[in-house]
Amino acid sequence: MKIVRQVFTVAAKDLRSEIRTKDTLNASLSFALVILLLFSFAFDPTAEQTREISGGLLWLVFAFAGALILNRSFSRELPNDCLEALIASPVPGSALFLGKTIANVLLLLTLELVCFPVFGIFYNVPWTEQFWPLMLVVVLATWGLTVVGTMFSALTVNLRLRELMLPTLVYPIMIPGLLGAIQLTSALVMGHPIDADLTQWLKLLAGFDIIYTALATMLVDTVLVG
Amino acid sequence: MDTRNFTYMFYGFAAAWLIVVIYVVTLVLRERRLSQEMQRLRDMLSERRRT
Amino acid sequence: MREKLMYVLLAGSGALLVWNLSRMLLYLPDEAAQGAIYRIIFFHVPGAFTFSLAVFSALVSSVLYLITRRLPYDTFAASATEIGLAFGAVNLVTGMIWARIIWGIWWAWDPRLTSMLISWLMYAGYLMLRRAIDEPTQRARNAAVLNIFTFPGVIITYKAIDWWRTQHPGPVLSFRSGGGRMDPAMEATLYWNFLALLLLAAALLMVRMRQETTRRELDALRREAHAL
Repeated sequence: MKIVRQVFTVAAKDLRSEIRTKDTLNASLSFALVILLLFSFAFDPTAEQTREISGGLLWLVFAFAGALILNRSFSRELPNDCLEALIASPVPGSALFLGKTIANVLLLLTLELVCFPVFGIFYNVPWTEQFWPLMLVVVLATWGLTVVGTMFSALTVNLRLRELMLPTLVYPIMIPGLLGAIQLTSALVMGHPIDADLTQWLKLLAGFDIIYTALATMLVDTVLVG
Repeated sequence: MDTRNFTYMFYGFAAAWLIVVIYVVTLVLRERRLSQEMQRLRDMLSERRRT
Repeated sequence: MREKLMYVLLAGSGALLVWNLSRMLLYLPDEAAQGAIYRIIFFHVPGAFTFSLAVFSALVSSVLYLITRRLPYDTFAASATEIGLAFGAVNLVTGMIWARIIWGIWWAWDPRLTSMLISWLMYAGYLMLRRAIDEPTQRARNAAVLNIFTFPGVIITYKAIDWWRTQHPGPVLSFRSGGGRMDPAMEATLYWNFLALLLLAAALLMVRMRQETTRRELDALRREAHAL
């Protein structure tokens, strides 16, 4: 499978350059921690109340910090015309896109896996009661948000005001996925098992992932190549 | 006719029309700006061609 | 010729609107529970229909642009989206005024209202993206892709009253509820007013498309001026 190899080559390239400098990861991680800290001033954090809003809290943090990662995803290729070289290379646009998406998903997952324990400790929230279902939700949601985000990173890479346009355009589109993630995360952190009601949200999340992954891989060549 | 809520019905109708009117006004303003710009550019171009 | 068609559309829309207004205010009775205010539905629902139809045709012409790469499709998509936004605003604002009386609040974060607001904001983002790109073919391409990405929001808005228990009323029109939820005379007036708004939208669309073409000519003239 040539395309799988190409996807992983691109993902490995992105991750390697990220691990060497750690620019984006450091910046987004410290940003996420600062917002997590700031939320403690926004409301009076009693443990029960915090658990109820934990989903909203965490996913807003992830969405904000994620935008930092996504902003850099394609614009880091701009110096020395790397993007032109990548597009001209034999790797098809969809493989380039999926590779970058995988790299971004892994970076964002790393950030999330740091944020969960920090959140649990600082807000006195036991969040591991439904650990594996929660991880499933985290992975599904992160994939969906990152697919849309990476696509929009490609869409806005040549724009003036790129850093402003990306969040403005991408957050509204993310909302269905974000909403599902928030509902599920809050419920799972509170220790509810996945029942019929939550399955609905899980379906929404999965549908969001499938629709936007398909749309993005189909359309990314048009955006990148023309 | 029942007069209950009649004022708010009126507000609703007025709001609907107001939005359309505002949009039409912006269209007209844009039209004017575009034709001015067009005229200016045409004048400038013919000026340059003559010299 | 175009000019004439536009005036015909405008006149038709105006005549229909006057006729519809007289039907709404003089002929149709009040609704039993809501009183006079139920008449907002005659603008609220047609506004939503016009919005949906406008953005749907924008979606179709965006796809056509990506297939054929002919700029007139892009012109149509941009114009239709902008007009859709105007009628979407009609829908949102009339809905809020109705909610103020019936629910006692201007806004409720229920799935129908929220998804409509999000869709509206996404299409506003589409116009913003267009302004941020100067090069016409790149603008057309990226805008068309964004337009395809925004359309699922409209589908969610349409289906929201089936998928969730919303505060927003459920389906009342007979083609969705199977009939019996609304007086046929009222429903007919609603469709007539939809036609009136549609004619108005078509007339505005013609104006807006001509502007977009003028804009492109302006760009060409500017390039020429630079070259000289």
